[in-house]
Amino acid sequence: MNTAIELEKAPTSRFKDKVMELLPEGGNLNACLTCGACAAGCPASGLENMDPRKLLRMAALGMDDELLSTDWCWMCSMCQRCIYVCPMQIDIPQLVFQIRKSHPRGERPKGIINSCDMALRNDTCSAMGATEEDWRFVVEDVADEVRESQAGFEDLQVPMDKSGATYFLNQNSREPVTEPDEMIPLWKILHLAGADWTYGSKGWAAENYCLFAADEENWEKIVRTKAKAVDDLGCKVWLNTE
Amino acid sequence: MTLSEVTGISGEAGDFRVSVKQNPRYIDMNRCIACGECAAKCPKKVDDEFNAGINKRRAAYIKYGQAVPLKYAIDAANCIYLARGKCRACEKFCPTDAIDFEDKEKNVDVNVGSVILAPGWSPFDPKGVDYLGCAESPDIVTSMEYERLLSASGPCMGHLKRPSDSREPKKIAWLQCVGSRNLNRCDNAYCSSVCCMYAIKQALVTAEHLEGDDLSQTVFYMDIRSHGKEFDRYFEKAQADGVNFVRARPHTIEPGKDGTGVTMRYTLDDGKVVVEDFDMAVLSVGLEASKDALSLADTFGIALDEFRFAQTSSFAPVASSREGVFVTGAFQAPKAIPRSVAEASAAAADAARLLTAAKGTLTRSKSYPREKDLAGQQPRVGVFVCSCGINIAGVVDVKEVVAYAEGLPHVVYAENNLFSCSADTQDLIAKRIEEHNLNRIVVAACTPRTHEPLFQDTLREAGLNAYLIEMANIRNQNAWVHQNAPEAATAKAKDQVRMAVAKAALDYPLARDAVPVTQKALVIGGGLAGMGAALNLADQGFEAVLLEKDARLGGNAWHLDTTPKGEPVRPMLEEMIQRTENHANIKVLKNAALKSATGSVGQFVSKIAVDGQTRAVTYGAAVLATGARESVPTEYGYGEDARILTHLEFDRKLREDAAQLGQAQSAVFIQCVGSREPNRPYCSRVCCTHTVKSAIHLKTLNPAMNVYVLYRDMRTYGLNEILYQKARDLGVIFIRYDVDQKPAVAIEGADLKVTVDDPIVQRPLKIDTDLLVLAAAIEPHASDELIALYKCGVNADGFLNEAHPKLRPVDMAVDGLFVAGLCNYPKPVDESIEQAKAAAARAATVLSQEAMQLDAIKSFVTDDCDGCALCLDVCPYRAIKLEEQATEGNGQVHKRIVTDKALCKGCGLCAATCPKGGVHVHGFTLDQLKAQVSAALVDVV
Repeated sequence: MNTAIELEKAPTSRFKDKVMELLPEGGNLNACLTCGACAAGCPASGLENMDPRKLLRMAALGMDDELLSTDWCWMCSMCQRCIYVCPMQIDIPQLVFQIRKSHPRGERPKGIINSCDMALRNDTCSAMGATEEDWRFVVEDVADEVRESQAGFEDLQVPMDKSGATYFLNQNSREPVTEPDEMIPLWKILHLAGADWTYGSKGWAAENYCLFAADEENWEKIVRTKAKAVDDLGCKVWLNTE
Repeated sequence: MTLSEVTGISGEAGDFRVSVKQNPRYIDMNRCIACGECAAKCPKKVDDEFNAGINKRRAAYIKYGQAVPLKYAIDAANCIYLARGKCRACEKFCPTDAIDFEDKEKNVDVNVGSVILAPGWSPFDPKGVDYLGCAESPDIVTSMEYERLLSASGPCMGHLKRPSDSREPKKIAWLQCVGSRNLNRCDNAYCSSVCCMYAIKQALVTAEHLEGDDLSQTVFYMDIRSHGKEFDRYFEKAQADGVNFVRARPHTIEPGKDGTGVTMRYTLDDGKVVVEDFDMAVLSVGLEASKDALSLADTFGIALDEFRFAQTSSFAPVASSREGVFVTGAFQAPKAIPRSVAEASAAAADAARLLTAAKGTLTRSKSYPREKDLAGQQPRVGVFVCSCGINIAGVVDVKEVVAYAEGLPHVVYAENNLFSCSADTQDLIAKRIEEHNLNRIVVAACTPRTHEPLFQDTLREAGLNAYLIEMANIRNQNAWVHQNAPEAATAKAKDQVRMAVAKAALDYPLARDAVPVTQKALVIGGGLAGMGAALNLADQGFEAVLLEKDARLGGNAWHLDTTPKGEPVRPMLEEMIQRTENHANIKVLKNAALKSATGSVGQFVSKIAVDGQTRAVTYGAAVLATGARESVPTEYGYGEDARILTHLEFDRKLREDAAQLGQAQSAVFIQCVGSREPNRPYCSRVCCTHTVKSAIHLKTLNPAMNVYVLYRDMRTYGLNEILYQKARDLGVIFIRYDVDQKPAVAIEGADLKVTVDDPIVQRPLKIDTDLLVLAAAIEPHASDELIALYKCGVNADGFLNEAHPKLRPVDMAVDGLFVAGLCNYPKPVDESIEQAKAAAARAATVLSQEAMQLDAIKSFVTDDCDGCALCLDVCPYRAIKLEEQATEGNGQVHKRIVTDKALCKGCGLCAATCPKGGVHVHGFTLDQLKAQVSAALVDVV
């Protein structure tokens, strides 16, 4: 135990209260029983001497300075394991998101911000900066190789911009850029299942770093770009593998 | 009526017509003697629901060995014959022709004045909750399954084995609050009230069942809720015995690496994450309303609360929303056995109150022929040796035993019966008594515990005194335990019969005395509990004298603002006082003190001083409801600052000037002030709920107020948990402290500051507050005088003791005394009223009789008593007194004991202690016992 936290009489407007105003049912942020189920399941527990329970507790006690300055909020992977088991269904991920949002954009982690910015550069939405040409080339090249070298898949189709296909499939741009062969297994499954699917040359990248950057405006922009690509091809189902 | 369900109800309180559908049992209960042949021969195996499906039963079955009535049934859904028309194996082998495949569903209408609903509860089913892992590992079981695994009468016969590989588990984890206090994929926001205690019990019993130094039991919990009488002692014993209590909820239970056991991750208060393997995990599942209960509620049209428990008020805790229909047990709200049993009596009290006008109108009494006069007759003993189907005859050569019995002294008749207990054998025994002029009977069969009353009745019907029977238990104590030694068993059966005959020859007729009952009650204490008991008794038509030491009735209830359900206490209290004071059957004595108490159940006499005048009251039973009080805190600056209040002081302020309280900007509550500490090691039960209720009140008065609750374990048991949740939702901050690191209160000039360590952020919090409310312990009044007068008992904490915490929760160990309210243990308004009604119902069982029939097996004093008084100390019932008597003729005074037949239970400790033969017990005199022992040793000595 170190220095005492002074809890003054006068009611102070806490960060937590502001977040609660934004969330349905206030995200149940007040309901914590401090049972620790969230912390037990969190992959980021222990980093920066922090865990989801402690973060929420600091919010409850109005320790706003420390709450808003911890880097831990960027170590959360938004996996939602905490809220999944929380007996009170407390929306800790939203608390983390709002803490991220409170950081000025320029002070948010460069890796995430750069990926967000990269995705905004063209309509592929690729955080790796892959262009439509790069994407089409890699897909066709890998598909040719499969058809030539793998028995039983001589007829493998990897449709691109097929109008009216049932499924519009997204692909994390890490694969075409760094591990193109990793796209193959899913193609095979879809082929064997006889699925009516397609890639799109626009809006195909599955990732959205603007979400993780808590950049709501650009998060929305990217989602809209991707949705438009699906609509433009007249596909029924948007399959995002992220 | 078993296998029955209510299909409809019409009419109104006092005159209901209830339609009951009775499903066929396919076994005639009059003929079934529960020998088990049907189940033994039934080829159809079915999952045994009583053992949570761990083992199999047959389609012909009893649910468990202690089933009442102990009669088999055929499970129509699984019976091969009933489903497919072939088999009937049970019918072929049933020795009493009890199988009846023609049995049909019956519809019966019953006319009743009141109805009690007690449909119980269902355990929460955790199978749908993936992170609990039930589908992943067989070594994750519910507490209900574990209870059966652990039970000596369960499928493992008490030898604990884990399901995956049948190995003995060494390291077991319990997870609390599974299906309780949970809103995520579960609607059970309430606390199930019982799981903490059963988990502690299971952990302790587990340690008794296993051997080795490498055992460990770990309970993962949020708050330990050991809020009942003696519960905290049990919790502390478990800690001392090495059970690990870890305040943490593991995230996911995963199967162990090799497919056995489990592994889980949990976080300690300081944030340290631990990954630990266990051999087994037990899910402490909560209580829910059962589906049957819901359809029953629907049939009766009674209101349920949001959690589907029966809706009741705190002032009428067993009355449903429909007049004349009462509810009890976990159907009313989740609760443990002691309160369930007390509540059952409370429901009986309310039901009886409604039936007062009809009381006794349907009573029938059995008549018997006049007892034969045996004066001058030699013993003529008849011996009946039971085969018990094959239970006895399969091991013991019963024919040989009969032949042997025929040769014993005084025996004039002996025979063998297939089942001595069957109805036709009863007729036969009566006939033989007549034919052979038998005047003593020996039945060599099973245990007198279950069967002696039956044979006693047969004797009475044949004109013999009921105490001229002896039983030799050649089944339980012989055939069952010597199955592999039939010859020795037969020899032992002969020994047993010889002993019984020897004693029977010395049996003599005994008379059951009756003690006249004064049909009036004394109720001591005029608080909620005392008034509740007096009112119920008075409404049932009994006179009650209510003794109150103060100048007004009402007790602690005057200081309470509202109940946890938000009902204002004052109007209810005033109405209750008015009813009590105006009731024709209640005599209220205020400023009164009990001065003496003599006599015993049925006829007590007390002197009561009222305003300096003493009067005598005679009464048949008494209810002790002497209350308790809020203790005066000796810490946290109490008494040094007007802003520091106890709960009751806070309630008073709330009543007198709520607006002023609402102006506070900050308030702090400290829990367990004087409770759960070495000098008061019990939980005061009501304070957590009172605090959350008060905190909500403050937040309602002023939503901006900062309210903090400093606690050790929040014990808002049952539906009170909803208040705890509401308080948190309103922003009240709960901070846990350890007893060895208690909060500190400092008055710094005009400031009041409370410092406490927050276990989660691991830093001290210094709270600047306007108000500090202390949850002062409830402590009992000194009860030395009551104890001296009534010879009743208190526990180590000074609370009056019940005869048995579970089975007789409102009876005291002294017959005719009953207990209710705070004097028994701290409790809230609804539980006090429940207990008051329960005490009234129990007292009514005494008061409703004009005379109490006593058992004939009682101690009696002989001329050999010289007044040494050794027996006084050993008598557990205080049934013996020493008196001075004048010796006939010479007028000299000597001392001699006197026994009170109403109190004596015939245990015989006095007779065993007396060195002079000065006191004996009827039916077990030294002569009778000596004859039995001599007969046992006849071949030896």
